[in-house]
Amino acid sequence: MPALVVRELHQYFEKGTVNENHALKGIDLTLEPGEFVAIIGGNGAGKSTLLNSVAGSIPVTHGQIKIGDQDVTYQNVAKRARLIARVFQDPKAGTAPRLTVEENLSLAQKRGQWRNFWANGVKKRDRALFREKLASLGLGLEDRLTAEIGLLSGGQRQAVTLLMATLQAPELLLLDEHTAALDPQTSATVMQLTAQLVAAQNITTLMITHNMQDALNYGNRLIMLDHGRIAVDLKGDQKQGLTVADLLRLFKEQSGQELNDDAVLLS
Amino acid sequence: MLDILISSISQGLLWAIMAIGVYLTFRILDIADMTAEGSFPLGAAITAHQLVSGTGPVLATLYGALGGALAGLVSGVLHTKLKIPDLLTGILTMTGLYSVNLFIMGRANVSLLADVKTVFSLVDLGNATWDTILVGGVMVTLVIGALVVFFNTEMGLGARAVGDNQAMSAANGINNDTMKIIVYMLSNGLIALSGSLMAQTNGYADLSMGIGTLVIALAAIIIAEILVRNLSFGKRLITIIIGAVIYRLIIAWVLDMGVDPNALRLFYALMLALFLALPLIQKQVKQWGERRENRQRML
Ligand SMILES: Nc1ncnc2c1ncn2[C@@H]1O[C@H](COP(=O)(O)OP(=O)(O)OP(=O)(O)O)[C@@H](O)[C@H]1O
Ligand SMILES: [Mg+2]
Repeated sequence: MPALVVRELHQYFEKGTVNENHALKGIDLTLEPGEFVAIIGGNGAGKSTLLNSVAGSIPVTHGQIKIGDQDVTYQNVAKRARLIARVFQDPKAGTAPRLTVEENLSLAQKRGQWRNFWANGVKKRDRALFREKLASLGLGLEDRLTAEIGLLSGGQRQAVTLLMATLQAPELLLLDEHTAALDPQTSATVMQLTAQLVAAQNITTLMITHNMQDALNYGNRLIMLDHGRIAVDLKGDQKQGLTVADLLRLFKEQSGQELNDDAVLLS
Repeated sequence: MLDILISSISQGLLWAIMAIGVYLTFRILDIADMTAEGSFPLGAAITAHQLVSGTGPVLATLYGALGGALAGLVSGVLHTKLKIPDLLTGILTMTGLYSVNLFIMGRANVSLLADVKTVFSLVDLGNATWDTILVGGVMVTLVIGALVVFFNTEMGLGARAVGDNQAMSAANGINNDTMKIIVYMLSNGLIALSGSLMAQTNGYADLSMGIGTLVIALAAIIIAEILVRNLSFGKRLITIIIGAVIYRLIIAWVLDMGVDPNALRLFYALMLALFLALPLIQKQVKQWGERRENRQRML
């Protein structure tokens, strides 16, 4: 059974007004379990809108979304949380700043589950696990379990957010430019950590990135969105051996436009 | 002098329960809930009515607190489910509660005769003020203990996350609306408990006794925050007791100075404005000092 099925998904913003924006124009997408998909595309192509629709933060009015055997089309974000974990672009978005590192981790460990009012929020037996996982990040966070997470740097917070997202393996992991706000060095570290965590539990993943090289290096499938449509979809072998130049050429063929891209700007 | 201190402590303990209630919505959820001005007299009205009808003091107090929780439920639902802004929600519930309180009491004021048993007559230290301090102290201790435990449970962590980052809490499967409603209920339950105790120690419940409760609560919270910044949850609640006592002392001092009673509320409002601005003023003064030093260094 596929891990994710998106069928005939359309999204309109401000429908019926002069500002009507048909942001997604019929997306059909099926992900097999364990697929790690990099999504690229120009600004405003609809990448975030697609992820937001899958996560439930934008209601779906046209089309269908299934995760595993469950139809989640009409479920809200909180309801879908038992199936989906998410990391946002803004490192602040994924954590509760006034809660400590261990409180944030404990919170994420119960993602989508019922929360009791008699059980301890942070359990003693979990601390060792948290410490071990934090130590594996190599950021020295294992000694800062009781520090407020708002005091951590953006990169540190993003690394912890990734850990939180995978503490309890989700059916689907959604990453929206989750390294874009970090400096190149930290960004590379967090990207490697992502690949590690995803591989360790074989998590089905959708990752938006503006970094062509990352899109090529990571994951086993690559999708290019253009004006609300899937313009290119490359799997396994087709993706192997592709270069940034190939990607840019493909993009131009499909959309007739140049792709403004970090990798190009950087090189 | 000592008398003033002792009576301020007794009053401050009861106020602290209310201020802690307000703290839950104001600081944990970051919501300005004005229901307090209605749920405080609601607790007083229910308890007074129950006591006069012969209910035991413990049960009568409990009913008062439960009534407040119900008022919190109404405000919480209005705010989360009907998406009415928090300030308006409080005003709506408060306005409605005025009539509810009048229904409960049957008139504007119910006094408790001397032979009516209250929670304070459960102990006998030979002096009403000390009775209040003992019972109030036990109550506030129980309240703080219970809150510290609750806000460190799985559900309590969830509630705090809702106040911190709603996108994050929802993404982790927390129902933000439900959590807010729970905190609304806790908050107003405590505020009503405070009103209930106040009625019992004063010997009467009055329709107008809710007026000004928010100012008292905010003053207690702000004083606590000025005294010590950045405290853990439990310690913060304890400092709110101190804040409430200090505020009571300030009021006693103002009364003692013979301020025109008609000008009292204006005075309270100005004082609260000053407290609220104090952190900023402190920061400014510090910055001026640093700049002066820096200028001299740069000469
Ligand atoms: N909440 C919203 N209200 C109105 N229009 C929106 C909203 N969110 C997105 N849009 C519009 O929908 C289109 C797709 O936006 P989306 O954010 O999905 O693009 P994107 O591919 O993620 O771009 P970027 O690379 O800049 O993040 C854009 O035209 C955008 O202006
Ligand atoms: Mg985007």
